[in-house]
Amino acid sequence: MDVLSMLESFIPQLVLVMFALLMPLFDYLLNDKRLLSLIALAPLVEIMVTLVAWLFLGLWTPADSQINLLEFNTFSGLFMMVFIAVGIIVVLGSPEFIRPDRNQGEYYSLILLAITGMTLVAQATDLIVLFVGLEIAGISSFALSGFRKSEKRSAEAATKYFVVGAFSSAMTLFAISLLYGAVGTTSISGIGEAIWSGSTWIEESKPVILLATVLLVAGLGFKIAAVPFHMWAPDVYEGAPTPISGLLAAASKKMGFAALLKIFLFSLFFIKADWEIAIAIVAVLTMTVGNLIAVSQTNIKRMLAYSSIAQAGYILIALPIGTQYAVAGALFHILTHAFMKSGAFMVVASMSAAAIGEKLDDFKGLHKRSPFLAFSMAIFLLSLAGIPPLAGYASKFVLFYSAVQGSFDPGPSWLIWLAVAGVLNSALSLYYYARVIKYMYMEQGPESKIKIPPMLMVSVLVALVMVVAVGVYPNEVIDLCKEAARIAFPFLPL
Amino acid sequence: MFEGIPIISIIILLPLIGAVITFCLGKNDKYAKWVALGFSVAALVLSLFVALEFSLNPSSSSTGFHDGGDWFDYQFYESHTWVESLGISYTVGLDGISLPLFVLTTLLCTMSILFSWDTTTRPKAYFGLMLVLEVGVLGVFTTLDYFTFYVFWEIVLIPMYFLIGIWGGPKKDYAAIKFFIYTHIASLAILIAIMAMYFESGTGTFSMEAIGTATYGRTFQVIVFGAMFFGFGVKLPMVPFHTWLPDAHVEAPTAGSVLLAGLLLKMGGYGLIRVAIPTLTDGAMDLQLLMAVVAIVSILYGAILCLAQTDLKKMVAYSSISHMGFVLLGYATFTQVGMVAGVFQMFAHGLVTAVLFMMCGVVQHHVGTRLIPSLGGLSKKMPVASAMMTVGFLASLGLPGLVSFAAEFMVLVSMFDSWGLWLFLPIISVAITAGYYLWALQRSMFGPLTNKIDTSHVHDMNWYESVPVGLLLALIAIFGVFPLVVFKYIEPAVTIVRTLLGGV
Repeated sequence: MDVLSMLESFIPQLVLVMFALLMPLFDYLLNDKRLLSLIALAPLVEIMVTLVAWLFLGLWTPADSQINLLEFNTFSGLFMMVFIAVGIIVVLGSPEFIRPDRNQGEYYSLILLAITGMTLVAQATDLIVLFVGLEIAGISSFALSGFRKSEKRSAEAATKYFVVGAFSSAMTLFAISLLYGAVGTTSISGIGEAIWSGSTWIEESKPVILLATVLLVAGLGFKIAAVPFHMWAPDVYEGAPTPISGLLAAASKKMGFAALLKIFLFSLFFIKADWEIAIAIVAVLTMTVGNLIAVSQTNIKRMLAYSSIAQAGYILIALPIGTQYAVAGALFHILTHAFMKSGAFMVVASMSAAAIGEKLDDFKGLHKRSPFLAFSMAIFLLSLAGIPPLAGYASKFVLFYSAVQGSFDPGPSWLIWLAVAGVLNSALSLYYYARVIKYMYMEQGPESKIKIPPMLMVSVLVALVMVVAVGVYPNEVIDLCKEAARIAFPFLPL
Repeated sequence: MFEGIPIISIIILLPLIGAVITFCLGKNDKYAKWVALGFSVAALVLSLFVALEFSLNPSSSSTGFHDGGDWFDYQFYESHTWVESLGISYTVGLDGISLPLFVLTTLLCTMSILFSWDTTTRPKAYFGLMLVLEVGVLGVFTTLDYFTFYVFWEIVLIPMYFLIGIWGGPKKDYAAIKFFIYTHIASLAILIAIMAMYFESGTGTFSMEAIGTATYGRTFQVIVFGAMFFGFGVKLPMVPFHTWLPDAHVEAPTAGSVLLAGLLLKMGGYGLIRVAIPTLTDGAMDLQLLMAVVAIVSILYGAILCLAQTDLKKMVAYSSISHMGFVLLGYATFTQVGMVAGVFQMFAHGLVTAVLFMMCGVVQHHVGTRLIPSLGGLSKKMPVASAMMTVGFLASLGLPGLVSFAAEFMVLVSMFDSWGLWLFLPIISVAITAGYYLWALQRSMFGPLTNKIDTSHVHDMNWYESVPVGLLLALIAIFGVFPLVVFKYIEPAVTIVRTLLGGV
């Protein structure tokens, strides 16, 4: 195999890395720093267009990968689309937000590098590549959280994130090494096949595999901020620059899910009976704790952080259900959550760009100060609460639907309680989402108008259009998610 | 007349277009009410044409007839695929149960918009939200697909939440959130029930017809019917899940209360007879006694609470619990008479309660308070208002010749048929109802003019208040004398429910 055809499989990553490395140079050359964001947009938009042309329009299909470490299929394509879309929204929202800061070139190259890592995780077919992707994305995100290093909150967030992130990486890596020891391969499908074969060697090393499973739950649990590994998330989301909070909540977390889905539903699927109850409990705990704590938050960014913890709980129920439909539901919710959450964070970023705080009180009477921001925020929050006909409702519907379906066939029947827990949690979450809407529309606040920078407005608008459009016409996206689940996990029950 | 025209979709779409235009008026917010009135009147007129066109002998000559086999037959039927992979479609149509409520919706929305003619606080948002609410309620009453049903059902909540929360009374924050969450939890119970039926039936479609004609095990039916009964019952509302209602009603602006009591409560009653009872017949029969007991408790408890109220509007709110109990009681008998009367009671209560809430609004608006002890002798200051209020109260307490009498009398007759002398329980409420209405009327409108408040500025009703109230009172009298006009629409549909129930 020649080098060139090997490189072909890396084209998206290569494009991203190339631009990432060039960003500091552009920073040096350009006087108007706002242009930097346009340059950073170029690779993202290019990859996005290619992905849309492939997944939605069917204009081309990627050639089979030349190396068996990365794969291009609907599943990885969909995840890449989520990461790139969030990247676009975040980059669009950044220039006004970081206008007073120095080193803007590095800011954008770190974002591009983080997205590179995420796409690697999405495409990985091998645990080592997956781990490398996790690390690239992780290290870039640590640096991004501490981008405003002179700000105490930002520095604290970065330190916390780094310590927790390093700890979770160590556990993940330890788990991978244990799996390698027990099974003799690091290929995701190879581990699954080995466990499925059920040889005596595998039977005897079952305790090691189970230990690795526990470590993986913990290590990746940190990444997706599942309870009880969630403590870092609110502090980091609050302290990080707001567009970066959006990137962490909407994309970085989804990378954890890409890894979780691959490992648990592929490598460890044949010992599902051993982990399904544990993960189900974690899922229910995650949504309940996230929602309960979100109720008492007065800082919007913290509230959104707890809300994304809760949303992670909803997505997690796909693992114990373990049907293709559940995976499709998880993918769909990952996709819609990316838009709702990044949109909501961009609204908060617009407020900060206008030198308004991020406390609940600062949202008083927002509808008079900026009808657009208030309306967008209301739509994002209602969508997060799962009110039809918005995207969040459609995806929650498919997700809970798969739980009810799973409890009928193939069972076990307790799966229906996951749907019940999710539904009750949705009702609970409505309280704190509706409270923000109340502050925006029903309370009196300052009268002065807010001027929103045009690029931030575009980024909010992109998210808004997606949330409404996917909600009203979910057909195509659902089909795509089902297709992705079928291709990535062909052996799962329907 | 409407051959080939998707008339139901057009009627649902009209208020939506109106709402978008209203929201986009920019600085010209004095035109908001005209736009809103224009679109709601257009919807009203078209819905009246639909009612005229609705055929009582559908199979021979009617527009968009859909033969449901064992299930309900619909007219003006349209069906379009929405989400193919899940079997979701946008399907709408009307039958004898939904038609009266459909017309009631367009009527009450128009009347409420007219009644709010002097709204000056954020009129664009106010009238826009009223129109969005109309879209949601019209959708609930016409859709024949569970998924779309749920979507419309939830759409109704949001404008109502804002209507209470922005234009409401002093405790509006609390009332708005309580309303939103309480009814949202109920909706979610319905959602789970829908999903359970979808999978148990194995039809792979959310069509009410397909899910309704599938067969289910008895235990399954009891559980799922229980969930639906809870979900729809909260909306109805039934005791003990009624506590959101007094708060929401008292704090809501007058037009909001009118729509809340006139339409939103009907959604619960409609859901029971449209989907819950005919789909889960065994479950309904097993829980028949529970339904009857809950209904009678609601009737009595609501009435007794009314006696204790000092706020006119709160009294009317509690009376709704009592009157909606009659709807449930009518259903619970499973007799032809009882179920027809139950549906008719929804229609009747919609008309009557709209008048009552409007009159409470008039008193609040012109006198400045609704507290009965502060009022007195207002008939001297506002003769037209007190006359209209008297007729409204008499209609609500069931005076023969007015619309509620026909409905409630028939419910009581069917109750006697089914359970004999247990009839004495709901009969008690008739006396209590007459008591609290007449007592309130006497204290507030008649007797010597009150000296507890300054009445020098009190004048009679404005035109935009008396026109809707007068029109509704006329309809109350007309349908009170000729209830058969509505019965003949409801009868055939209820016959189908009874056939599905096995002709109990």
